[in-house]
Amino acid sequence: MITLSKNVELGKKDSYKINKKRYGYLFTAPFIIGFLLFSLYPLIYTFYLSFTDMTMMNKSYKIVGFDNFKNLFGDPFFQKALVNTWKIWILNFIPQIGIAMLLSVWMTNNRLKIKFVGFWRTIYFLPNLLMPVTIAVLFFNLFSFYGPVNQLSVRGGIMEGAMDFFRSTAWTQSIVIFVQWWMWFGSTIIVLMAGMTSISPTYYESAMVDGASTLQMFRKITLPLLKPVLVYILVTSLVGGMQMFDIPYMLTDGRGSPSGSIMTMNVLMYMKFSSNKGHIGVAACVGMIIFIITCVAALLIMKMLREKDPYIKKKKKSKIVKTVGGEM
Amino acid sequence: MKKTMALALACLMSVGLLSGCGKTVTKEEPVPTDKPVVTDPVKTQKILKVWSFTDELKTMVLAFEEAHPEVKIEYTMIPMTNGEFQTKLKSTLQSGEIPDVLSLEAAFVREYVERDYLADVSSLLPLAKDLGTYQFTIDIGTYEGKTKAFSYQATPGAMFYRRSLAKQYFGTDDPAAIQKLVSDMTKFEAAAKTIKEKSKGNTYMVGSAGDFTNLFFANRKSPWVVDNKLVIDPKVEELLDTAKSFRQNGYEAQANQWQEGWFAGMNDSLVDAKGNAKQVFSYLLPTWGLPYVLMPNSTPKEVKAEGATTAKMVGKDTAGDWACISGPVPYQWGGTWIGALKDSKNLDLATEFIKFSTLNKDTLKNWATGVYTNEYLRKIDPTIGDKLAQGAGDFISSQKVAEEIISKFDDAATTKFLAGQNSYKGFATAAPNISLKLIQASDDAIQRSLNDPLANYASGKTTKDQAIKEFKDAVKNALTEIEID
Repeated sequence: MITLSKNVELGKKDSYKINKKRYGYLFTAPFIIGFLLFSLYPLIYTFYLSFTDMTMMNKSYKIVGFDNFKNLFGDPFFQKALVNTWKIWILNFIPQIGIAMLLSVWMTNNRLKIKFVGFWRTIYFLPNLLMPVTIAVLFFNLFSFYGPVNQLSVRGGIMEGAMDFFRSTAWTQSIVIFVQWWMWFGSTIIVLMAGMTSISPTYYESAMVDGASTLQMFRKITLPLLKPVLVYILVTSLVGGMQMFDIPYMLTDGRGSPSGSIMTMNVLMYMKFSSNKGHIGVAACVGMIIFIITCVAALLIMKMLREKDPYIKKKKKSKIVKTVGGEM
Repeated sequence: MKKTMALALACLMSVGLLSGCGKTVTKEEPVPTDKPVVTDPVKTQKILKVWSFTDELKTMVLAFEEAHPEVKIEYTMIPMTNGEFQTKLKSTLQSGEIPDVLSLEAAFVREYVERDYLADVSSLLPLAKDLGTYQFTIDIGTYEGKTKAFSYQATPGAMFYRRSLAKQYFGTDDPAAIQKLVSDMTKFEAAAKTIKEKSKGNTYMVGSAGDFTNLFFANRKSPWVVDNKLVIDPKVEELLDTAKSFRQNGYEAQANQWQEGWFAGMNDSLVDAKGNAKQVFSYLLPTWGLPYVLMPNSTPKEVKAEGATTAKMVGKDTAGDWACISGPVPYQWGGTWIGALKDSKNLDLATEFIKFSTLNKDTLKNWATGVYTNEYLRKIDPTIGDKLAQGAGDFISSQKVAEEIISKFDDAATTKFLAGQNSYKGFATAAPNISLKLIQASDDAIQRSLNDPLANYASGKTTKDQAIKEFKDAVKNALTEIEID
C-alpha cells in the first residue's frame, strides 16, 4: 500500500515535471495562436494576393505571376510614392532625433538642472495623444486659403497676399513633415531620456574628474551607451514612416494632391484598393513591397549600428537584446 | 451595529433571491396564456438592412416603418467624402454580410448598375410610367435592358445669384434679364469681368472653380471611355481655359468647394487675408442645393472667440436676396438612387422599400412638401433627435407629382428665400430636357482624376500639356484597364 502510493506519487511527480515543461507552450499559446491567425496568415495571404489580379467587383481572378510587381516598378506613380515616402520620413526623422536628443541631453544634464522636467516632457508628448485625423483637419484649416495662417501673415506684413499653401508641393510636403515631427518628437524624447537616465552616473563622474567637456562626455559616453535605444527608435520610426498614411491622406484630397506630392506608399496602396474596381491584387503588391523595403532597411540599420562597435557587440550584447526586446 | 449590518445584508440577499424567483415566475406565467400575442409580432417582424451615405434616407426609412409596422429597419450610414462608403461596400460585397437595400450616389451608381450585384427590379417599371418618372433617372438605373435602381429625386442644375449685387452691377435683378447676361459660358465670363470691374475686385462671380466643372462635364459630346479608350472631349480643354481665366483674373474667390470660405460667401462673411470683406455673386447648384446647401448657410453664424464669454454673430441673413435661373448651360448634378442586392434574403421586402421610397405618390408628395417634420418622425421613433426633418423643396423624380405640387410652393420657404420666385416651377421645366446618356461607371474616378491637374493649371503651376498629361497619368493609375494614348 505504502509502496503503491509512493509509486503513484512518483509517477505524479514525473508527469508534473513534464507538464511543467509544457507550461511554456501553454502560456505562449494565446500569443502564438493570435499571431498565426491575425498576423502570419494575413501576411501569407497578402503575399498570395500580390500575385493575382483580384478586384473587388469581380469574383473570379487568376494568378498573374510577377506582373503586378513589374507594372508597379514601371509606374511613375509608384516611383513617386516611393521617393515621397523616403523623403518625408528622412526629413522628419533627422530633426526629430536631433531636437529630441538635444532636449533630452539638456533635461537629463546634471549641470543645467532644468526644473519641471516631467512637465516639459508631458507638453512635448501631448500632440501624440491627438488623433491624426483631427490634426490633419486642424492643419488643413490653419493653412487653407481663408485660414488663420494667411490672415496673420498678411496682416502682420510678412506676406503680400494670401497664399494657396496646398497648391505648392514644397509647402504641402513641409506641412506633412512638420506635423509628423511635431507629433513624434515627444515620444522620442521619452525613450531617449529613459535611455540616458539608465546610464550609470559613475561614468560621467569619472569623466568629469578626468576633465572631460560636455561634448566629449556626450560623444564618448552617452552616444555609445545609447546605441541600443537609438536602434530601437530608428527601427520603429522607419516602420512607422514607411507606413505613413493618415496625415497625408486626410490633409488634402486623399490622393496626394497637389501633384501627388504627399502620396506615400500607403496612400497609393489605399488608392489602388479603393479605385472604382478595387484592385486588391495590386494593392497587396504595394503592401508586399512596403513590407520588403521595411524589412531590408530595418535589418540594415541593426547590422550597421551593431557591427561598428565591437566593444558594445561583445560586452553589451545581452543588454542590447534586453533593451530592444523589452521596448518592443 | 454589526448585527444590523448583517441583517441588512441578509435582507438584501434574500430580496435578490426572491426577485430572481419572481422573474422566473412571471416569465413562466405569460408564456402559455399570452402565447399568440407575444410571439406573433416576433415571428413576423422582418429585418431589413439599409445602407446609405447620408442621413437623408433615414427619413424615408422611418416613413417606411410607419407604413409597415411589422418591419424593423437597420440603418447604417457611412460617409462618402473620400470614398469611404464605396470602399466599405465593396469589401462587404466580398465578405458576405451584405445589406438588403443600398442607396447609390450619381457618382458611382453606374458602377453597380453595370455589374451583377443589384437585383433586377424592372417589374416596377409600369409604376414608374404611371407616375411619369423622368426618363433620365430610369436610364441611369438601367443596364442591358434591366432596371436595377430608381431615384426619388431628379436633380436638374440651376444658378442662384444675389439680387442686391445684380442690381448694383447690372442695374436689374430680374431673373430673365440676368439669364440673358449669362446664357452661355462666354457671356458668363464677360459678366464675371463686369462684376469684377464694377466692384473693384470685391465681388467674385463664383466661390470656386469647382462650381462650374459640372457644367462642362454635362455638356461633353462623347463619354469618357469609348472602346475602352479614354476620350478627352474638347470641353475638358474649355474647362481648363475657363478655370484658369477665372483664377488668374480674380473672378472666383479661390475657396474650396464645401469648405469654410465657400460657405462664407453665402452669408456675406467672406473676409480675405487682409481683412477686406468680399462677396460672391452666384452659386451654381442643382435642385438639392437650394434647401440643403444654400438656405441653411445663408444665415448669420455664431462664432465664439478665444476666451470670450459672448458669441459674436458673423455674416448676415441673405434670405430673400436670391434668385434662381437656369444658368449658362443645362446640367444635372448628383442624385440618389436606391437599389436592392440580388443576394438579399428579403428581396421582396427590399423591392417594396424601393417601391415605397421612389415610386409611391404619397411618399414623394410628403417628401417634397415637407410633411416629414421632426414631430412627425418622432411619433414613429422617439429617439431620432431633431436632425432628420425633411424640409420642403427637394425636387422629386415623378413629373406627375411634381406638376401637381408646383402651386404648393408659391408661398413655401424656398420661394420666400428667392424673393417670391417659385423655383419648383423652374426645375419642372428643366427636368424633362435632361439626358444622361453619357454617364458611365468610370465617370467618378475619371472626374476625380481631373481635380488636381485642373487646380494646378488654373493656378498657373503647369502648362496645359502638362495638365493633360497629369490627368492621363492619374486616370491610368485609377483605371489600369483603360487604354490611354
